[in-house]
Amino acid sequence: MPKCTINGKEIEVKDGTTIIEAMHHHDMHIAHYCWHPGLSVAGVCRLCMIEIEGMPRVQIACNTVVTEGMKINNTSQKVKEAVKWGLDFHLINHPLDCPICDQAGECGLQEQYMEYGKYDPEMAEKKVKKHKVVDLGPTVVLDSERCILCSRCVRFTTEVSKSNELGIFNRGDRSEIGTFEEKPLNNKYSLNTVDICPVGALTSKDFRFRQRVWYLKDAETVCNGCSTGCKVQTFFNKEGLFRVKPVYDKEVNGYWMCDDGRDLYKFVNREHRYLKASHREGSGWTQVIPGAAAKEAAAAVTAAGDKLALVLTGQYTVEEYEKIVSIFSKDLKTKKIYHWLNNKETVNSFDGLLIRGDKNPNTKGLLQTLQKHNISTAWSELESGLASGAIKTVVVAGPENHAFFKDIEEKVQLFNKAGTVIWLQAAKNPALEKLSGNAWIIPMKSYVEKDGTFINHAGQHRKFKRVTTVVSESLTLGEAAELLAGHQIMVKPESNLLVEADRQADKVTVEHRKKNEFVFKRGAL
Amino acid sequence: MSVVQRTGEVRKWYMLGILGGLVITGQHLLKNLFQRKKMMTINYPEEKYEYSPRFKGNHVLTVKKDGSLRCTACMLCATNCPAECITIVAAEHEDPSVEKYPIHYEIDILRCVFCGFCEEACPVDAVRMGPEWQTPGRSGANFQYGIDYLAYRPQLKGGIQTFVDDEERHKAGI
Repeated sequence: MPKCTINGKEIEVKDGTTIIEAMHHHDMHIAHYCWHPGLSVAGVCRLCMIEIEGMPRVQIACNTVVTEGMKINNTSQKVKEAVKWGLDFHLINHPLDCPICDQAGECGLQEQYMEYGKYDPEMAEKKVKKHKVVDLGPTVVLDSERCILCSRCVRFTTEVSKSNELGIFNRGDRSEIGTFEEKPLNNKYSLNTVDICPVGALTSKDFRFRQRVWYLKDAETVCNGCSTGCKVQTFFNKEGLFRVKPVYDKEVNGYWMCDDGRDLYKFVNREHRYLKASHREGSGWTQVIPGAAAKEAAAAVTAAGDKLALVLTGQYTVEEYEKIVSIFSKDLKTKKIYHWLNNKETVNSFDGLLIRGDKNPNTKGLLQTLQKHNISTAWSELESGLASGAIKTVVVAGPENHAFFKDIEEKVQLFNKAGTVIWLQAAKNPALEKLSGNAWIIPMKSYVEKDGTFINHAGQHRKFKRVTTVVSESLTLGEAAELLAGHQIMVKPESNLLVEADRQADKVTVEHRKKNEFVFKRGAL
Repeated sequence: MSVVQRTGEVRKWYMLGILGGLVITGQHLLKNLFQRKKMMTINYPEEKYEYSPRFKGNHVLTVKKDGSLRCTACMLCATNCPAECITIVAAEHEDPSVEKYPIHYEIDILRCVFCGFCEEACPVDAVRMGPEWQTPGRSGANFQYGIDYLAYRPQLKGGIQTFVDDEERHKAGI
């Protein structure tokens, strides 16, 4: 365990730790482009310069291992000069077109050149023109001019995704990142290259030009795309959610996430959501406020007696399952609670990195809750019950992420046999219009709108907090269960949509305003 | 509104004040009658005042030589706008050297405070504040100026050309 001094602060590190790792762990600032904690060391950007006592020249921190008694400094004038001129080499062919560039605002190069005031390169030579807007694959666009050849993306495809699509071609100042002939960048983790790109060379086709990053707020949550449960960051503003990025989590996802998970912000946005509940009686649908719809449906649920069944999908939180299962088994006295598993064939598959075949984030949590309440039922019982008329009312907690629920139409046909269906779901699905008889569709909150816990494939409890609210009147599964059982509870609609969860509410109420004499008198004049 | 109520003897001397005021009015009347060139007012709308060329009036979006919009949809004007009256929707351009351009650029002129920050923020001289200051409209008139109005309204005679030319900059090696 060698001890060293960095910028006058004595720290102890593990054997074999490089200086940049030591600084990274102790939250010390050091500029770096090519080094990434999840990748191997390349040492090409020459920006993480440090001065070591006893060495005549500055060294790179990413490839120098800490030894006993090392005295390291990265704030001296010598280091600053070295970084400044290293930066100038990066800027020789960089177009500095920050206004157009999508990375502006979260760009490593922009941060550094602003810090050192290098707004104009000090080279008399003309800039080398390279390819712009190169289509690398179905998800990523490359701008070679902006690339600083840090090789992070190349190392990612060789080390992490192991697909080897990217490479550096040509030599010297004409070097460019590129793909091989007829082998586009097309793997399930390709968008990680966009995240790790320190400049705006690689941009995501999905997010490109849709928002400037400084308009977005971010909050952490847990991905609900599969049973891995990656820790992610969602970016949103008043117009909706715009993108999802991975957050470092040592035990689950490391620094990465899959491309499928990045699409999961889409169904959360308002245009893909049920905003009001709908009720069908006879032929047409009528729109109702969600809470009122649940109260109306309560009559059908409580009257059903032992002909009531509950169908659950693995897309809700443990807390919600606990609530709904205990209410249905104790208050409504039904043991007919079934688990709708969408992909039986692939449920145990795993691609070796992150993606799992079970596309529900909380299958384990659901099974644990059912076990706790001593409920063991088979899907065939539900089918036979529906056929024989033993089940007349079905409450379905539908999937919010229904991209992997290919059988949803089949299931709608199946549940139609019951006569009364109460379908709780967040995201719109055209298949639900085919519900017949006495049917309700009640909007639920999606995973970004509630606190809760998912239990992932390994049994880890993945707690997450509410990010924001998108649909004001939607219910959680727990609230819906209470209302369906006829309990009187208050469900307060959220009036401040798409703002940060921790933002303080406006404390000046209308009553306060009315009492304000100045405003009141001025109105009277 | 507060009205000062005076009491006592002072109240009887109001006539002096009125006469004093009438004298000033009469002086101006006579001056304007005999020295019409020095008159402070003009006969609007027949006569119009010439403002300085630096006057900040209604916005103009400049165009390139080929007549297409100069704006790169960087959103710096919208970010800088204190009245939040600029809305831009960016899109991908077919030409890779242009890359990004606005498909929708809207200024809500009734919210605008004519501070000129958009002009200052623009890195490519794409938005300027022009000399026009008369923006009348009947009720129901459209005060949400879109690209058609901002860049190609008839008064601009086909568009104002920008100082910043990409091709020249490319040739200069920037």
